[in-house]
Amino acid sequence: MTASEPKPIFTARGLTKRFRGLTALSAVSFTQNEGEILGLIGPNGAGKTTLVSLISGTLSPTEGEIEFEGQRIDGLKSYRRAHLGIGRTFQVMKPFPGLSVLENVAIGALFGTGRGERSRVRARERARACLDFTGLNHRADQRADALGGPDRKRLELAKALAMQPKFLLLDEVMAGLNPVEVEEVIALIMKIRANGVSILVIEHVMKAIRRLSDRLFVLHHGEKIAEGKPDEVLNDPRVVEAYLGRRRR
Amino acid sequence: MKIRIIFIVVVVLALLAGVPWYGSASIVQFGIDALLTATLAQGWNLIGGYAGYPSFGNSVFYGLGTYGTAIAMAQFGLPFWAGLVVGGILAVLCALLLGIPILRLRGPYFAIATLGLAAAMGAVIANLGIAGRNNGLILPLFRGDALFYELALGLLALTTLMIYLVSESRFGAGLIAIRENEDAAAVMGVNTTLYKVMALALSGFVSALAGGIHAYWITFIDPGSAFDATLNVKMVIMAVFGGPGTVLGPIIGAFLLSAISEVLAAKISTVAGLFFGGVIVLAVVFMPKGLIDVGYGVRRLGLSYFVQNIRQNRL
Repeated sequence: MTASEPKPIFTARGLTKRFRGLTALSAVSFTQNEGEILGLIGPNGAGKTTLVSLISGTLSPTEGEIEFEGQRIDGLKSYRRAHLGIGRTFQVMKPFPGLSVLENVAIGALFGTGRGERSRVRARERARACLDFTGLNHRADQRADALGGPDRKRLELAKALAMQPKFLLLDEVMAGLNPVEVEEVIALIMKIRANGVSILVIEHVMKAIRRLSDRLFVLHHGEKIAEGKPDEVLNDPRVVEAYLGRRRR
Repeated sequence: MKIRIIFIVVVVLALLAGVPWYGSASIVQFGIDALLTATLAQGWNLIGGYAGYPSFGNSVFYGLGTYGTAIAMAQFGLPFWAGLVVGGILAVLCALLLGIPILRLRGPYFAIATLGLAAAMGAVIANLGIAGRNNGLILPLFRGDALFYELALGLLALTTLMIYLVSESRFGAGLIAIRENEDAAAVMGVNTTLYKVMALALSGFVSALAGGIHAYWITFIDPGSAFDATLNVKMVIMAVFGGPGTVLGPIIGAFLLSAISEVLAAKISTVAGLFFGGVIVLAVVFMPKGLIDVGYGVRRLGLSYFVQNIRQNRL
């Protein structure tokens, strides 16, 4: 981090989410600083995607508070949060299948932060720029459901970027990519941060998360079990145990 | 390009508007019916084709327009235009009140709920004294098929203009995003509830106007004919046959199917329904995106366009 004073852009306090009897998240608190890449890891079923859905407003918390730029947002619907500047990708990708790649991204530009562009022509221009940025321009006129895996991931990213978010939630954008593609996405995320966007990255690819994150926190069975510098956190015995199980003595 | 399109539209409109002067009485009557059903298909297009919510409640809006006009004219002696306003307001109120809870349902659940609505509304009207209960209402007689024809044509033209403007607007893009993936639309900043309710209200408004014109033309209405669920099925079939979510598809579908069923009913009345049903099954199998997509598809893929459609249907 080059900034001397970290300034929080987003704060979660005591977030709990219960689905009937199952507690997916219990009392999770964390702070995201402005311009920071915060990593989130955890074994399958740890509650990572649930946390993202609580932040984006797709789900509402059972307990707890969410603050964005000093304003309580946990009562707001997802479209209002999008207008404030929170963008997300979905782990299970949700393209607009029948629309062209360009139209998909243009939706992000038409709505999104500050309620987006008014004109569809300018929205398309912004969408073109996002496709350039993510390397999807040669596919602009194809239907979204014609794309293969890696390009779908890129599309998911381009759609979120077109919203011009201040806070971007990336839910496993590298899953299923080969090492070369992972490198490309890492470079992309670095470029996005360089534009001043605060990013929360959920990832299973450890190498990537170690390189990307300024800070890292770990969820296990819905609870935060560790937080700090990536190297420290990844060597924390509790984290190793969560991933590999208890060592036999 | 743009000038050419405007020119074509003006010529087609002028030709259609001239029908009462050079067509026979039965052609004009067929025309009124076809134009009004095309308006209904176009109204359905907004909520079903653009927003992707397959409404079976549009016949309710039609029925409310019918009864709004009839009650205003027969019970209160108001002029026709006031009746249309009353019917339109009733339909919009109904769309706002019932749309908010019902539009939370998705896919088949939404369809079933709206279907239930149609049945319930018919029963309510059949028990209202002011609506003439089961006996229905008789409107003041007005002979003037040419006028009704021009009214229906004007309504269809305005509705289509509205659909065109919507399809070019931010609102239209939001509706399409809702149809394609509602969750993604919401996190990208589309106010999904507002957009859906607005689409349903607009759809209801034009359906009600069509109902009002039909009521004054036919001069006698009863709950069975005003809240007829098969009318809604017709709208859906016509819009889907022509091309849902397109500006002109539903009109083409409505005109073509109205003409086919008219000819069939005249020639071979007993098996007309059977043949009609067969056409629809084949259409859905071979061209699920409607007639209007066939043009693009065949130019792009040739005959394999149809094979691809069958594959996509997993037949």
